[in-house]
Amino acid sequence: MTAHPVPSEFETRTNATYDALMWALSRPGLIRALPGQGPAQIVEALIDRECAVHCADTDLAALVARTGAAPVAPEAADHLFVSALSPDLPGRLALGSDLHPEHGATLVAPATLGQGARLRLSGPGVDGTLEVAVGEVPDGFWTGRDRVLRYPLGFELFLVDGDRVLGLPRSTRVEVL
Amino acid sequence: MTLQSLTRAWEPMSYGFLDASAKREIRRKMLKAIAVPGCQVPYASREVPMARGWGTGGLQISCTLINPRTRIKVIDQGADDSVNAASIRKFLARVSGAPTTNDALEADLIQSRHRVPEEVLREDQVLVLQVPNPEPLRPVQPNMSIARQMHADADYGRMWLQLYEQIVRSGRVMQGASYPSLVNGRFVMTPSPIPRWDVPKLHMARHLTILSAGREKRLHVVPPFTRVEPLVFDDVPYRVEDHGGLTCQRSGARGYFMNEIPQDDGSSIHEVSDSDLGVKTIRRREGEAVAIGATWYENGEMTS
Repeated sequence: MTAHPVPSEFETRTNATYDALMWALSRPGLIRALPGQGPAQIVEALIDRECAVHCADTDLAALVARTGAAPVAPEAADHLFVSALSPDLPGRLALGSDLHPEHGATLVAPATLGQGARLRLSGPGVDGTLEVAVGEVPDGFWTGRDRVLRYPLGFELFLVDGDRVLGLPRSTRVEVL
Repeated sequence: MTLQSLTRAWEPMSYGFLDASAKREIRRKMLKAIAVPGCQVPYASREVPMARGWGTGGLQISCTLINPRTRIKVIDQGADDSVNAASIRKFLARVSGAPTTNDALEADLIQSRHRVPEEVLREDQVLVLQVPNPEPLRPVQPNMSIARQMHADADYGRMWLQLYEQIVRSGRVMQGASYPSLVNGRFVMTPSPIPRWDVPKLHMARHLTILSAGREKRLHVVPPFTRVEPLVFDDVPYRVEDHGGLTCQRSGARGYFMNEIPQDDGSSIHEVSDSDLGVKTIRRREGEAVAIGATWYENGEMTS
């Protein structure tokens, strides 16, 4: 009988967080459960000293700093943790290049999931179309996103509401109803 | 800030073999690959205790996703019991304590070398394919920098020319495995050397497919409900292997992808390539109550 390693609490948490993020992005519009509350767990699962991060919230910025990630302006960040979305934000994000679309940014923002403006999603990962309600996103953000996205260039968006997350990859088309 | 806060408790080895920073890097790259289906995303491809080219790419994805509740199945050319599959399964179980299975219906995570199971995968399952050569343009453009520019320009004319030349020379497309396919209408990818038979299984599938090349240090993804269209000319339809009329000599299964086994007298017999489907068919024939899921193909015809 060989003993196998037991996952630490950190490993268990980050594994579960990534699982939620992966399925949230694979099936846009389907809300997934995170193991804990808020964006801090996403920092733990994804961010280390190889990243350039923009973080608006000071408490979260302290956590990001401990990972060794470089604090940068939104334009230079590969991961952004904002406290509110704004209509001009999509125009300031890194969108990647034609040679390397994967250099587009990942944006994590708070939102109210399940109530608010109704969105119709379509694209890879969506079986036909899907309607989802998202609140706390300002008017103009979705048109701003629409304006800058030129597939395969773009950015990924995770909307976090407590312990729930909704993923919107650049490949998803969003219609405001 | 104290020294204690900067360190972690000592562990004899990392859970799932890969250390936390390797996992974070693979996670970040996997998210980008999901967002741009079919696009080859470079990643660091750490060392694992296996030679590159023997499934290290798939192994790193499995090690990142695995947790003690993940039920794993490992396939090598359809078989669960070949050396490569058995070794990878044993390794994954040993470094994670995760349960293993041979049954595609029970598995949460399926790592596969060059086959997709015959039973339809569900929307909570992840298929990890090992990829020897992730670059579909390599036969027509050996310079990978130029190939990347061709992907950026969606410049796939030479792929069509290659297929055209095969038709002119041989009367049909000679590409047996890794048939180049257009993903989400934008990127041409190689689906790894799965037979033509398996490519339609990726089109608008319910499961998540992650293709990872450890030696070449790139991964790409086919998310659920994503178009995967083999490159074909309008007047030369895509054809899968003509195995619909073959019967497995051991199990009696019929209408699935078969392995041809040459005999001494020059003839050949066939065995079903998906070994677990064969095992289940035999057990059912012997009167056991065995659940066989819906299959992608019925009598050699794709159902959908």
